[in-house]
This record gives sequence, structure tokens and C-alpha cells, in this order.
Amino acid sequence: MEQWQVVGKAVPQIDARERVSGAAEFVSDIKLPGMLYGRILRSPYAHARIRHIDLAQARKLSGVRAVVTAQDTPLIPFGPRSDDWTILAVDKVRFIGDEVAAVAAVDEDTAEEALSLIKVDYEPLPAVFDPLAAMEPGAPLIHQKERNIVAEFKLSKGNLDQAFQESAVVYEAQYYTNQVYQAYLEPMACVVQPDISGRLIFYIPSQIPSMTRITYARALGLPLEKIRVIVPYYGGAFGAKMETNLHLAAAVLAQKTGKPIRMVNPREEDFMAGNPRVPMYIDLKIGAKRDGTLTGKEVKVVGAAGARAVYSMVIVATACYRVDSLYRFPNLRTEGWTVYTNTVPTSCFRGFGNAQMTFALESSLDMIAVQLGLDPAELRIRNGLRTGEVSIHGWKIGSSGLEECIRRATEAASWKEKRAQKRFARGIGLACCNHVSGNRAFAREFDGAGGIVRIGREGKVLVYHGESDMGQGQKTVFAQIVAEELGVPLEWIEVARVDTDVSPFGLGSFATRGTVFGGNGVKAAAADAKRQILEVAAALFETDPQNLEIKEGQIFNKNNPRESQPFTKVVEIGIFKRGGAPFVGTGFWVPDTELPDPVTKYGNISPAYPFACQICEVEVDTETGHVHLLNYIAAHDVGRAINPQTTEGQIHGGVAQGIGWALTENMVLADGKVLNPNFRDYVIPGPLDLPPIKSIMVEPIDPHGPFGAKGIGEPALNPAPAAVANAIYDALGIRFNELPITPEKILEALKKKKVK
Amino acid sequence: MKYPLRLKVNGQEYELEIFPHRTLLEVLRDDLNLTGTKEGCGSGECGACTVLLDGEPINSCLVLALQVNGRTVTTIEGLAPNGELDEVQKAFISQGAIQCGFCTPGMVLAVKGLLNKNPHPTEREIREALTGNLCRCTGYQKIVEAVLSLSGRPTSSPPNSFTER
Repeated sequence: MEQWQVVGKAVPQIDARERVSGAAEFVSDIKLPGMLYGRILRSPYAHARIRHIDLAQARKLSGVRAVVTAQDTPLIPFGPRSDDWTILAVDKVRFIGDEVAAVAAVDEDTAEEALSLIKVDYEPLPAVFDPLAAMEPGAPLIHQKERNIVAEFKLSKGNLDQAFQESAVVYEAQYYTNQVYQAYLEPMACVVQPDISGRLIFYIPSQIPSMTRITYARALGLPLEKIRVIVPYYGGAFGAKMETNLHLAAAVLAQKTGKPIRMVNPREEDFMAGNPRVPMYIDLKIGAKRDGTLTGKEVKVVGAAGARAVYSMVIVATACYRVDSLYRFPNLRTEGWTVYTNTVPTSCFRGFGNAQMTFALESSLDMIAVQLGLDPAELRIRNGLRTGEVSIHGWKIGSSGLEECIRRATEAASWKEKRAQKRFARGIGLACCNHVSGNRAFAREFDGAGGIVRIGREGKVLVYHGESDMGQGQKTVFAQIVAEELGVPLEWIEVARVDTDVSPFGLGSFATRGTVFGGNGVKAAAADAKRQILEVAAALFETDPQNLEIKEGQIFNKNNPRESQPFTKVVEIGIFKRGGAPFVGTGFWVPDTELPDPVTKYGNISPAYPFACQICEVEVDTETGHVHLLNYIAAHDVGRAINPQTTEGQIHGGVAQGIGWALTENMVLADGKVLNPNFRDYVIPGPLDLPPIKSIMVEPIDPHGPFGAKGIGEPALNPAPAAVANAIYDALGIRFNELPITPEKILEALKKKKVK
Repeated sequence: MKYPLRLKVNGQEYELEIFPHRTLLEVLRDDLNLTGTKEGCGSGECGACTVLLDGEPINSCLVLALQVNGRTVTTIEGLAPNGELDEVQKAFISQGAIQCGFCTPGMVLAVKGLLNKNPHPTEREIREALTGNLCRCTGYQKIVEAVLSLSGRPTSSPPNSFTER
């Protein structure tokens, strides 16, 4: 067993002091000299032509410094995956909340007043809100296309019809995963600062600083070097904080006024114009043999993109085929549709389509277990992919802790005993998931991560990376990895905030890639810095560098450990030998992944695949329909937990979000209007709503992750809705296929069941 | 028209002139540059704006600044005046109760408000006292553990997984 100094230890976050004292400067805290405050005028119509915009009165208001519309922008269509965005609406608005104009004023009150003085003459158009209706020919067209279909996904393997014929049971069901809101505590915000040369500095809560910069440069019609992105502390994201028109509108105002602009979404607007989860209709048909071996799967997914595609087609694609590498499905027929609707553009939310499909799949598998008289846990173990297997799509499972997750979770939950109890209204349910640690298909040009490690005179180590810490503990994990690689105390390590002028190009934090990719990137940089320092040390020790080792800030000769020098002393000697220049280690990591074949989808897309099993125990109050959560077990295959405390924190947070989605969270839409754009009526779990969560970390030690680690972020959420739904089925004998499973739905179903 | 406002914030006396519609939250953040207190919703639902008003936790986004003329406010910046962190802050750090940190200032002050009245709360009492403070990152468990570590009471939460390794 390896003895690590700091990897594997539950150390507190390295910037916890800044966060707990209020000293950390979040985006919405930033104040710059001469700063103006911006607000956006949003469309009240779900679909309308813009006949005329009258800005005269708004411009006259004392304290207003600029009012802009699309005519003040380069009118370049753009988008992270499609060219269906404009910074401000040009001729049409396509959802309630669509950005029509923007105002900059000396304070927020004036900016808000100016909004009310802008007169827009709209001609309402027929609108369509449900993707099933929107995909039909003859539906109102939202963009200049023949139909409202963003993308189609098709996949076929083997002979599914024959497989179903040879199956002992074929289970078919329809599911609906609703539109939910990430509900990060800090609303979307930005500060955009212009400088005299026409450069724009974006202080933004970006999960993808380097990639966002490319999109924003394109949208603004500027060369890339005119855009600088700096990522301050920011208050949560969970997928939502990628690109947003809010930042671009602020940029236009910054250009117009020559002053820094701060724009913060009022919470209500954040609900209306954020990036909520892609809601999906999922039709699922699965076959199994008598012994539970799965024979095949037929899938149809229809997902609503909202008024702009953003990443929705990638999310639908992920929903379509990621679970094919959780269990062995030898035969497949899969169809996925991503459809425009006149609603707020949907996008990334923890789980990225895999969460939606996992709800459907794990619900269906439980029913197959019921029909075959099998233990649902054994059904998963029988079909789950193991270490060394290659899935039907060519995914190489370097390590799988799925079986261990299931065994340890069921043991901790007293699974067999609880299932045997069979008390009405009390139940226990299980669900599993897989995920990726990074996804090769995300950026064609590059899949990897780099790092820079700078070591100055006092031995202070500064780490630069291109990813993004949104509070998940990434900086701390990077610091631990660098400290371990260099052999110095964790206290010597500082992780710089991402600044695209200095930091390496990075893809960012999404697809649960941070620890594996960013971690490997900074590890490589630290190794390079170590090599340079050992060269200097070797001269001092008069030996070969390979005879030297660094531990706890001391460099010593492996053959004669008493011969040692402080790391800081060697660094100082080395720096002065180089004219004062600090040591700068650079490194990168590119995994051996493959871009999937565009037709067959075959190709190993990720270096490491995490797995999980979660178990939920419930008691349903049959008078009120309320679901009491009694107990929760979450067993996660994390490869190796670099920091068990932050990993556990991620598990708790993901489970909480999954429980919220399962039971209480729903963006209620009527004719495209969000009826509950506030925390009173959009209910996220509070401290009284959650059961004690026991987390179990399974560590098969992955061959590709840094120190064997895999990711945790998204798998923490994926199984939760199905675990809850399966527990409710065990309690009541009623299947709920639509999220959220509210008290009203439960009472209605109980009434129906009684009548029968 | 502006009106005079006298406030004692974190032990410091302030005399300001402000418009009557400004909230305490706005005055703290914009006029006094105490940006530790956050705005999460502006309507008293999330608790990110929690400060102590004469020792009681309140949502500063729901209080007009002039309403609290002459009174005493403690913000997160007031907990560690000489750089030495308060015991609640230390417990949050050591128990891993902080992720993004946006809810943290409000959460810490809500905890201070509780412990000032009830130094040994049960887990149930802690969870009830924190119902006005939303957190989306942590699922609350480590926050509750942090307060329990100060309370000396037993927990219903299972032991940290890493202590079992």
C-alpha cells in the first residue's frame, strides 16, 4: 500500500479561510472605478416579431449612460454548438426572457427604471411549447429551418427484434424527466471592463474560461487576443455557467460607454433566462432472459432545446447512449430528437442527459427484476460492466468498482432484511449509474489538460491551470496533487485563479473531467518543475538526479538519506544561477481517447469511467402523500479519493439535488412563462428535507487517473431520482414515471389504486 | 431626498445619508463595502443576506436601512476582527462545510445566532434554525456536523466515510 503524504487525506479546502470570512471576492462583489450597472430588457412574449424599439425616453433618463439593441452589435450569429444565438434579439423574440435591449446606468435603480422606459412594439406569433408538438410538420417555426428539429441521433446494433423474441420478459414504459433549475446561490453575473486598446476583460463565473473566450470573441467580431477572461470566486454552477448572453450584453455596453459594466441577474430573471435542464420524453423497451441477463434495448428520446440549441443536442445524444456502457446491452435501437421550443434555452445540468436516462433505465430494471423474481441488486451485478471489459461502443473500462459499490451499499443499507419486511408504505430502492471522467467528443481539436507550476525564491509554489473551481474543491485537489508530486508541504502551494492571459488553455470543468484531466495536467507540470530542481540539487549533492528524492520539503539522497538539503535552499541556489528567474515547470496530459465514429458512435471517449450505487429508504404518508426519507446510502467508485472530505461533500450535494428533482423541484411553465421563478415556489431541499446520507468510497485505483482517481461530480446525482422512485415502488407498489413525484401525484395514484 | 442613518456595524460607528428605499443589504454592500454579505434572491427566501441585528439573525434584504437606524449589526466580517477566526468558522473549515462559499457567511451568522441563544442544540434544533438558509452545494450534512462539533450533542449522520478507511 502506497504511503502518500497528502493525497488521500481529508484536508480542508486551501481557500476555506477566504470563503468563510467573507473575504473571497465573488463576481457580484467586484467594484471597479467608474463602474456602471447594467440590466437587460427581456421579452414578455414567447414568440413575436419585433416591429420597432423606441429608446428615446430611456436614453433621456438622468443617470443612463447607454441603451443598446441588436443594431449596436455585430449581428454575427453564433453559439457554442450552433449558430442560432444573437447577443440581442434582431427581428424576433423566441422565448419569454429573450434579450431585447440592454441599459447601462450609474446605479441599479436607474438601470431598472430605464428598462421601463424602453418601448417595444411586438407582433405576437403563434408559439409552441412542447417538443412533441414542436417537432411535427406544421408547427410554428422558431428558427429559419423547415422543422424545429435541432438534431437527430440514430444508433443501431445487432438484431434487436430477434433479441426481444428470445427474451423471457420485455418491459416497455414511457418516462418524463422535467425541466429543473440548477439553483446555484449566486445568480448569473459578470463584470466586463474595457481598456483603451479595445480589449475587454471579462470577470465571469465561467466553467469553461478558454472555450467561452472563443465563443465571445466570435460573437463580438473581435480577434481572440482582444478578450481576456478572469474567473473570480463564484457561487455554484452545476453546469449552468458556460456561455450566456448576459456577459455579451455587458460587453457591448462596456464598448459603448468605455466603462466597466457590472450585470447581475435578479433571481427571477435567472429563473427565466438561465440554462435549465433539458426536459425529456423517454420511451424505453428492455428485454431480459430468465436469469436476468439483458438482451437488448430500444430507446426513443425527445428533448426540448428551448429557443436556442446551446448543448442540448449533445445532452440528448448522451442520454441516448451513455448507459450502453453501464450494462451489457448486446442489441440496440436508439433514436433521439432535440427540438426547439419557445421556452428558455435548456442546457447543461449535472448529469448531462445521463441523469435523465438513468432515471428511466434504473426504473425499468427494477420492474424487470420484479417480473423475473430477482433481487434488483443481483440483476445489476449480473449485467454491470467489469474492469477490463470493452463496451459495445468501444469504451475501455480501465476500472470498475460497480459490483463493490452494490455489495457495500446493500450491506450498509441492510438491503435483504429491509426488502423482506414488506410493510405497506415503507420501502427501499436501489439505483446504479455510470459516467465519464471527461468526454473526447466535446472539443474536436484537443482533449487533455496542461499546467504550469511556478516556484519562487521562498519555495512558494504557484499552480496555474485552465479548468474552473466552482466550489467543488478542485483547487485543493490540484494543490494536493502538486504537493505530493513535488514532495513539499501542502501549505506551500497556492493555486492561481484562472486568467486567460496567464493560465494554460483548458477545456474547463464539465463532464466530470476536473480531477482526472486538470489533475493530470498539473501533475505533469509539477513533475517538470521537480526535474529542473533535482538537476540543480544533483550538482549540489554531486550525484545523479535519479538518486535524489524530495519529501516533506527536504531533498535527500536515496542511497544516503542523512545527506539532505532543504527544498527552499536548493530553489534559491537554482534561481540565482538563472539570473533570478523562478522555476517554471510546464506539462500536459493527453489521454488515449478516441473521437467516436460519427455513424457507429464507436470509440473510447473517456480515460476513466466512474460507477455508483445509491440506496434510498422511504416511508410514504398515505394521508398527505408526503415522502419521508429515512435513510440514504451512496456508494461511489471514485478510483481513488484524492480528498475524501471534498469527495464526500460532492456526494452529499449531488444526492441532495437528485432528491430535490425526484420529489419537489419543477419549473412550472404555462404558455412558455415560468410561473414559479423564486425559491418560495421552486422548492429545493432545505436542512429538514434530507435524510442522513452515508457515503461509501470504493477505490479500485484507475490506471489512468492521477494517483488512480476518477471523477465524482455528476455520478453523485445520477442515481438519486431512480433510487427514490424505486423505494416508493417498493413501498406502495406504484410506479411513478414522471418527475417530480409530488404528494399530489402520490395521492391521486393511491386513490386510483383503491378504486381498482 | 436622503435621510441620516446611524449604524454600528462590526463595532464601528457609521453616519450616512441614504435614500429611504435602500435596504440594509444594499447599504452594507455598496455604501460600506462589506461585500461578505451576499444577495442570493432579494426576497428573503435564501438567507445568503443573513446578518445579526442586535444579535438576532435577520434577512438584510428585507429590512430597509432606515428601519434599523441607531442599531447594531454584525456581518461576517465582524466575526474575525483581529484575523483570528471565530469557533464557528473554524468548525466549518475543519468539517468541510464549505464548498462554493456563497451561502457560508449567512449560514455562519445564522449558526452564531442559534448558539448565542442555545449553546448545545440538538441536530433537530440545528436543522430547524437553519431552515432560512439555503445551500445548493453541500446537502447541509457537513454544516450540521460542524455545528454539532461545537454543540457536544450526538449526531444522526453516519460517521464520515473517510474515518472508516
